[in-house]
Amino acid sequence: MKIDHAQPLEYSTDQNQLNILGFWIFLGAEIMLFATLFTAYFTLSHRTGSGPTPAEIFEITPVLIETFVLLTSSFTIGLGVHAMRLGRKNAMVTFFGITLLLGLCFLGVEIFEFMTYYHEGATYQTSAFTSALMTTLGTHGAHVTLGFFWGLFIIIQVVKRGLTPQTANKAFIFSLYWHFLDVVWIFIFSFIYLKGMM
Amino acid sequence: MKELFPAKQVMGFVFSLVLTVVALFVYYTDMSFKAGMTLLLVTAFIQAFLQLVVFMHAGESKDGKAIYTNVLYGVIIAVVTVFGSLLILLWDM
Repeated sequence: MKIDHAQPLEYSTDQNQLNILGFWIFLGAEIMLFATLFTAYFTLSHRTGSGPTPAEIFEITPVLIETFVLLTSSFTIGLGVHAMRLGRKNAMVTFFGITLLLGLCFLGVEIFEFMTYYHEGATYQTSAFTSALMTTLGTHGAHVTLGFFWGLFIIIQVVKRGLTPQTANKAFIFSLYWHFLDVVWIFIFSFIYLKGMM
Repeated sequence: MKELFPAKQVMGFVFSLVLTVVALFVYYTDMSFKAGMTLLLVTAFIQAFLQLVVFMHAGESKDGKAIYTNVLYGVIIAVVTVFGSLLILLWDM
């Protein structure tokens, strides 16, 4: 295995560079997946039947908390990757840990939000609007949940094996995934919530 | 401690907060639907681009070109899917 020391650790081998490029191609497919969900939501959000409309169930406070929590977590994982490039293992693990805690906060608020919807009579089966809404939010939330466990295993591996070309590569790819989830949330925040409450 | 908080990323974070606050104007002020959607489209796409460049280091390696091409391809498919469907199903064109 040839290691190029001029590059950051996560890019240092040919395999690592291919892994990163491959993950970007996966993210391209994820963009398309979320595009189909947004399409379904936009075309169905007026079909509320006898259920509530977007303006009736959306509330600004939980949405604001979710948005700022996720934005901050995107920043802290960015700092984590920066610390990793400086070779500061402890700082990196701390930043990744803070990121995952913020991810948990996000999930907590989202679960609370779903429970509120349920009590207000907006369930998955209520109308085309609520189905499309919960499928879109749920797919994003499932990604964050998966990301939490993925990130947890990455942290464990870095703690046990230290910063090697392999662990650095995995951590970097995980950071790409986490930033991507933040980007998806920006679109959910803008075009589902804010549009619905306008 | 200071080296752990690079200026580029701190600025990127501050800018992303500013963009979020600007987007919130559509909620807190009385804006027409058209003006609101325009504002949201602008802030959301700048925000996405910011993440891509500052935090995801998209253009950094020798594969930068391939990565940007791939993202652009994904975005084009996404935009065509969303607006193509809206044109047919919602806007009756």
